[in-house]
Amino acid sequence: MFYVFVFIWAFAIVAGITMVWLLAWAIRQGEFKNLRAGARSIFDENEPEGKVTDYFPGEAPLMRQLEVRR
Amino acid sequence: MSAAVETNPQVEVVSRIEVDRSAEGAVTIYWASALFWLTIATIAGLISSAKLHSPDFLGNIEWLTFGRIRPVHWDTAIYGFGGTAASGTLLWLQARLCQTRIPFPALLIAGGVIFNVGILLGSIGVLMGQSTGVETLELPLYAMPLLVIPYVFIVIANFKMYFTRKTSHTYVSQWYLMAVTVWFPILVLSAEACTNLGAVDGVAQAIANWWYGHNVVGLFATPTGIAAAYYLIPKVIGKPIHSYHLSLLGFWSNAIFYNWAGTHHLTGGPLPAWTITIGVVGSLMMFIPVITIGINHHMTMLGSFHHLKTSPTLRFAVMGSMIYTLSSFQGSLESLRSHQEITHFTHYTIGHVHFGMYGFFAPLMFAMMYYAMPRLTGNEWSSARLIRIHFWCTLIGMLVYAISMCYAGIRQGMMMNDPTAPFLDIVRFTVPFLWIRTLGGLILFAGTIAFLINFWRIVQPHRLRFVTPTLMTTERDYNMLLNKEKELEQNDK
Amino acid sequence: MTSRKIGLTLGVFLTITASVTGLVIVPNWQFRELQPVKKADGSQYPMPLFGEQAKGREVYIDQGCIYCHSQQIRMKGYGADIRRNWGTRRSVPRDYIHEKPHQLGTMRTGPDLASIGSRQPSTVWHALHLYDPQITSPGSIMPRFQYLYTELRDGEALPPGTFEADVVKIPPQFQKNGVTRLMPTDRGKALVEYLKGLNKTFPLPEAAQ
Repeated sequence: MFYVFVFIWAFAIVAGITMVWLLAWAIRQGEFKNLRAGARSIFDENEPEGKVTDYFPGEAPLMRQLEVRR
Repeated sequence: MSAAVETNPQVEVVSRIEVDRSAEGAVTIYWASALFWLTIATIAGLISSAKLHSPDFLGNIEWLTFGRIRPVHWDTAIYGFGGTAASGTLLWLQARLCQTRIPFPALLIAGGVIFNVGILLGSIGVLMGQSTGVETLELPLYAMPLLVIPYVFIVIANFKMYFTRKTSHTYVSQWYLMAVTVWFPILVLSAEACTNLGAVDGVAQAIANWWYGHNVVGLFATPTGIAAAYYLIPKVIGKPIHSYHLSLLGFWSNAIFYNWAGTHHLTGGPLPAWTITIGVVGSLMMFIPVITIGINHHMTMLGSFHHLKTSPTLRFAVMGSMIYTLSSFQGSLESLRSHQEITHFTHYTIGHVHFGMYGFFAPLMFAMMYYAMPRLTGNEWSSARLIRIHFWCTLIGMLVYAISMCYAGIRQGMMMNDPTAPFLDIVRFTVPFLWIRTLGGLILFAGTIAFLINFWRIVQPHRLRFVTPTLMTTERDYNMLLNKEKELEQNDK
Repeated sequence: MTSRKIGLTLGVFLTITASVTGLVIVPNWQFRELQPVKKADGSQYPMPLFGEQAKGREVYIDQGCIYCHSQQIRMKGYGADIRRNWGTRRSVPRDYIHEKPHQLGTMRTGPDLASIGSRQPSTVWHALHLYDPQITSPGSIMPRFQYLYTELRDGEALPPGTFEADVVKIPPQFQKNGVTRLMPTDRGKALVEYLKGLNKTFPLPEAAQ
């Protein structure tokens, strides 16, 4: 039983130190800079910010005008 | 270290259309299997549900006795539907976010087939009475390699895409997807080792069992669902997520706390108090990621709710993310000892599981499919009406199910804690609610059928296009797609 | 940016190894020390199952009884398990040292079975209850396990290899289609033996706290 508790404590301390170290390392690496750019990385020239990309079939504004059939 | 402009020059730039095209075979096979298993799981669920209020329904058939069809319901729903839907999501989302073609498509397709055979064999095994007897891990051992091998393919493909990608940013969704591929194999292997392979027994096995049972939802279904929401909501409405800082906090707190929460499934049981306390603390700490993720999803939506009217993807995604918040709050509160005293052994738990899985995870997978399938196949969904039916059936069926079961569970638990209430009176009290649950299940089933019809039509060959894809919102997009397709066809020749 | 990618992978790997260690490995160390205790008559508690009872446990597992029945008693003052007479004391890890796979259960659509053997020691009751729950518990939603029994009509001879002693008579008011007696199959008999043997009433010292 005693060793179980020793182990739990040792493990908790090691894990805690590792976590703090990882966080410090991530900050040094610049992980927290440029976060806004990260959020925008899903957009590109063809599907820029502000463009809605999903409609019910046949109900997109452009398609109502075009009514193209292939 | 300006990550924003950094790109990997060795990797060629791949356009979105090429990415989607490369993913078509593999992802479609996973999602088609997902729908197949969803149908089977719903039928198995309906049979189990009906058997609880009318025990003689399909009575005296040993293969379909409640204790066998009920685990088949879980296994086909979690591994059959959840496993394949999440795998398809993972592959497509990772390919898109890394802007790379899907590697080894043939291997992945073969993996999809093997996985289905595994689930089929396993389910038949359980129906024949070969269940391992470990709740949540019932599939017989001979089926497990067939489930593990395809997943190894997916893990390899995922790592390959992630480590050879062109983009420099790791988007939030990718954190979750990478985490899933690291977590899930470890989760399954340790759980199988501790239960069915017999490394531990007795109460230690029960802890391992519920550590797994909770984590298979928390470290597999949930992160995939969140990844889908983090991509779909901003992408559909064309607005970046509310706060990237918060998403970072949400991710790591989720990663740290969720996997400690499982032992609350054994509250009151023969466990040392500290294991339960860890479970409760873990569950309560989940408020941090849930609130941050909730803020991020809902604040992004703020001001864009009118798009719900016009976008099927957004409807399902927002339903999923809202129920994620609700069901996670419910789950955290449920872990409290005073709450568990009442609801632990009752239908409340069943209501909560379905609220989470069918209210949060499944709609996000549906949203994923609604968004991606037209882009993968170049076809459009054949019927807007069927999509609407699917949405309303999912929402209403889910609410009927969750509310009736949670209410019945609370009352059932209170009666059980009153020693003067005869047990059979409690059983009689729950029967009307079990009927309501069957009704809720039937509504969900109707929605599934509507989706199946639509899905069947969209995977037909290109010459059977029903309408022009609406996913092209400007003429420029449309012409671009036409040109690209011509180009690709010439390349093929 | 490979270091960042490896960092993410390593980080998530650490989070799960932490919980495997904390919730799976450490409790196992704690429980591995547990040994059976000697009773006053020289026998041990808990005893590993063998013979009919072990076979019955297989049937219990393959019929999926766990999905409606738990086998664990919560402590006094937490729920009404003991006041409902489902057990005399709370269950403790030592009760389960031989259980492989464990059948603790998390649902009580039906009552707890941790000590069903001491509560209901009658073979006939169990046989009738499994054959048709409505005979012993009207209003029950438990399935009928008719396939664990051979139905015998009036005057019908016993199946070969079975003994008159195992026959269960159905009370007259519940006889249907001329079936008056039941002969349990091997599995049916084993399941009843297992249920009758379920008994966690022996007062273990650590359960008294």
